[in-house]
Amino acid sequence: MKYALFLGCKIPYYVPHYEIATRRVLGELGVELVDLEFPCCGYPMRHLYFRSYLLSAARGLALAESQDLNITTPCKCCFGAQKRAQKFLADNPELLREINAELAAEGLNYSGKVQVRHILQVMHDDVGMTELQSRVKRPYELLRAAILYGCHAVRPSEVTHFDDPSNLHLIDDLVKVTGASPVTWAGRLSCCGAPVRERNPELALATIRRRLSEAREARADILVIACAYSQMQAEWAYSLAGPPPQRELIEGPVLYPQLLGLSMGLTAKDVALDRNTPNGEYLISFLRRD
Amino acid sequence: MFFDVALYTSLALLVLGLVYKLWCWLTTSIGPDSRHYTPAQRLSASLKGLIRALRGRSLGPMMAALVLDGLFQRRSLGHSRWAWAAHMFIFWGMMGLIFLHALGPVLIPGFTATLNPWLFLRNLFGVMLLAGAIMAMWRRLRLPGLRRTTHWADRAALALLALLVLSGFALEGAKIVSVHSFDSMIEEYGNLAEDNDRAALGQVWREHYGVVFPQGQVPAGLELMERGLELHQDSCVDCHDNPQWAFASWPLSRLMAPMAGWLEAAQTALWLYYLHFLAAFAALAILPFSKFLHIFTGPLLLMIRVAKPREEMAPAARALVRALELDVCTHCGACSVHCSVAEAVNHVPNLSVLPSEKLMALGRLARGKTDYSEMLDVMRQGAYMCTSCLRCTTLCPVGINLQDLWFAMKDDLEEAGYGPTTRTVAEKASETAGTSRSVAPFKVNNGEFQKGLGLSVQADTFRNCYRCATCSNSCPVVFSYEDPKKELDLLPHQIMHTLGLGLADEAMGARMTWYCLTCYRCQEACPQGVKVADVLYELRNLAAARQGQGESC
Repeated sequence: MKYALFLGCKIPYYVPHYEIATRRVLGELGVELVDLEFPCCGYPMRHLYFRSYLLSAARGLALAESQDLNITTPCKCCFGAQKRAQKFLADNPELLREINAELAAEGLNYSGKVQVRHILQVMHDDVGMTELQSRVKRPYELLRAAILYGCHAVRPSEVTHFDDPSNLHLIDDLVKVTGASPVTWAGRLSCCGAPVRERNPELALATIRRRLSEAREARADILVIACAYSQMQAEWAYSLAGPPPQRELIEGPVLYPQLLGLSMGLTAKDVALDRNTPNGEYLISFLRRD
Repeated sequence: MFFDVALYTSLALLVLGLVYKLWCWLTTSIGPDSRHYTPAQRLSASLKGLIRALRGRSLGPMMAALVLDGLFQRRSLGHSRWAWAAHMFIFWGMMGLIFLHALGPVLIPGFTATLNPWLFLRNLFGVMLLAGAIMAMWRRLRLPGLRRTTHWADRAALALLALLVLSGFALEGAKIVSVHSFDSMIEEYGNLAEDNDRAALGQVWREHYGVVFPQGQVPAGLELMERGLELHQDSCVDCHDNPQWAFASWPLSRLMAPMAGWLEAAQTALWLYYLHFLAAFAALAILPFSKFLHIFTGPLLLMIRVAKPREEMAPAARALVRALELDVCTHCGACSVHCSVAEAVNHVPNLSVLPSEKLMALGRLARGKTDYSEMLDVMRQGAYMCTSCLRCTTLCPVGINLQDLWFAMKDDLEEAGYGPTTRTVAEKASETAGTSRSVAPFKVNNGEFQKGLGLSVQADTFRNCYRCATCSNSCPVVFSYEDPKKELDLLPHQIMHTLGLGLADEAMGARMTWYCLTCYRCQEACPQGVKVADVLYELRNLAAARQGQGESC
């Protein structure tokens, strides 16, 4: 299992804990990660600059192809943008030819053979549920987890192929394996609000706040996230919320590799739980006591 | 006389320039939060910070940064090994030459430039500097990513360095062959008694030191040679090693040998002397206003950045550091070569997308050197294409915290009325739609607009819409508003229908188009296979293009 790790643009500055946890946990699971100097996946440019989006996405894909590697990314928006770009290029040979002509300037070529996989897919399918089960040393007890599936991973399903669209179960499986119980809640397949944060911050904030309160209504202890943008949104909402008594939010967002890592016997520091907003170390209290 | 006047003039200019720069750092503001602080506050906060850093545990890391990041430019390695090698050659070559030319005579007892190891070292450092400058120039001309951001000032700086070295070598070569130099040395130091002594010494210097005498001036002869060697031992050898040690100037002197007489008549050595020293003094005088200033500011910033993280700095000190950073940039282009969104400039003709160019624009703007109104729109586009991925900050060889500058710049732009590009394009599109609504009844166009859609291949699937409103019913944006029709102008299914009627302005101007969360619920749910979310993406693209904010193709 060897992948080029596509971190995306948001993780290094805004969500460094996601990188720490991802590298650590995938390393423990025997997934070899190769670092290439990837460009932006193109997602933020797509709103106004379609060609720039496609070119940037294709350049990243071509870069991985040049090293004969498949891509894995922790970010759902990078994942979705790259999958969408692959579809655009597969559907439109003319566009593909033009993009490749531009890439040729630096000796790159995109053929379409590179696979883009979210880290959760790598864990679920490549590492496999049996192996994961055997790795969980200290499962959680009585931990109710609200899973945010993440729009750009799940939809459009004909493009992303993240999971079975009529019966999403991939993240539920992964959460169950740690001993936590996924709850049924309203926001499971909904949006975190990130895409409009720049042009309509009120809507962006209202959207994530709605998710957080929906999770609380379902009496979840944590919100399980596996996307850089969703984590930024949740942490933003927390940083703007008042002190705990007034806060109508659940305990906090946890990135899936952090959740898994801790149950595998890694320390909170190993998976950077102390760098979450709010601090995610309370998760330790849910671990089964031996 | 010439030497003294030129030296002191250029030193005076250097000092004045540095004082002016210091004033700039105390008064230039980047970011609204920088504007509150007077020069005195900035100075005192910075000095206090410095003292605290020196007293605390920062001294060690600061010294380590000075040596590793400053003297050995460790950070350049993250950019490119070739860039690092080029700069190491330039830096150590230059340091060596400055030492030998300016400090050696003062610091080293009995220093003689024409004796080894100095004779050899001067050539070695010169060759290093020249090699580094040639490598740097080659990179700037050959590598597309660097060529794009190379300005005349970058080439001029390298050319000046090359001129310094080449004129130095040429001067040394010309002096080796020069009879005039030989004679004036005899006059000053020679202990010549007999009539034939000049010819005797000349023979030694012709044979072993490369002086080229006119035909017949110095006859050959064993006896003369012996006398010459005696004189040489007596008067010359204490200050002169063989010129072959000047391994760059010596071959040059051999090239000059056939035309030595002509060179002598044209006083070439004298002209080269003027050229060489004027080039050196010019470099000194323009230093504060050129990239050479980083010799001082670079190490300073490299130490500041390890002493204290930017977020923890006193705001007044941060204001000064930000202004200083404008003068630390060497325009090496590393940031722009590695920029995550560099590809965008292929289609968005705006170089200020690239960090190095953004910084230059920011500098001009912050110092009020540029027409404000025209610049802001361009800079906004560049600023908001940046994804804040931190890469430029991570690899900047001189340690500029570009991320901090970009955030401060966005705040400045926002304050001047230049907020995020998408928001502005959305507002303008809404305005256009509003005007078209109030001025005239809807005009159905002839289908040209629909043909314009199609970037996403299936965008014209909006034709299949039969207005069941499933998209609008599944839309979280619609769900978020009490009165969505009023607050979003049109709902998703209405936008699809509007497209069918060819009402471009209406579709692009609807707030729904801009508030779309791109969650793809609509598209997933549509029973007719309309690519609702993709179409909305495309409408945003079209609106940007129509307003001259989009891509050029």
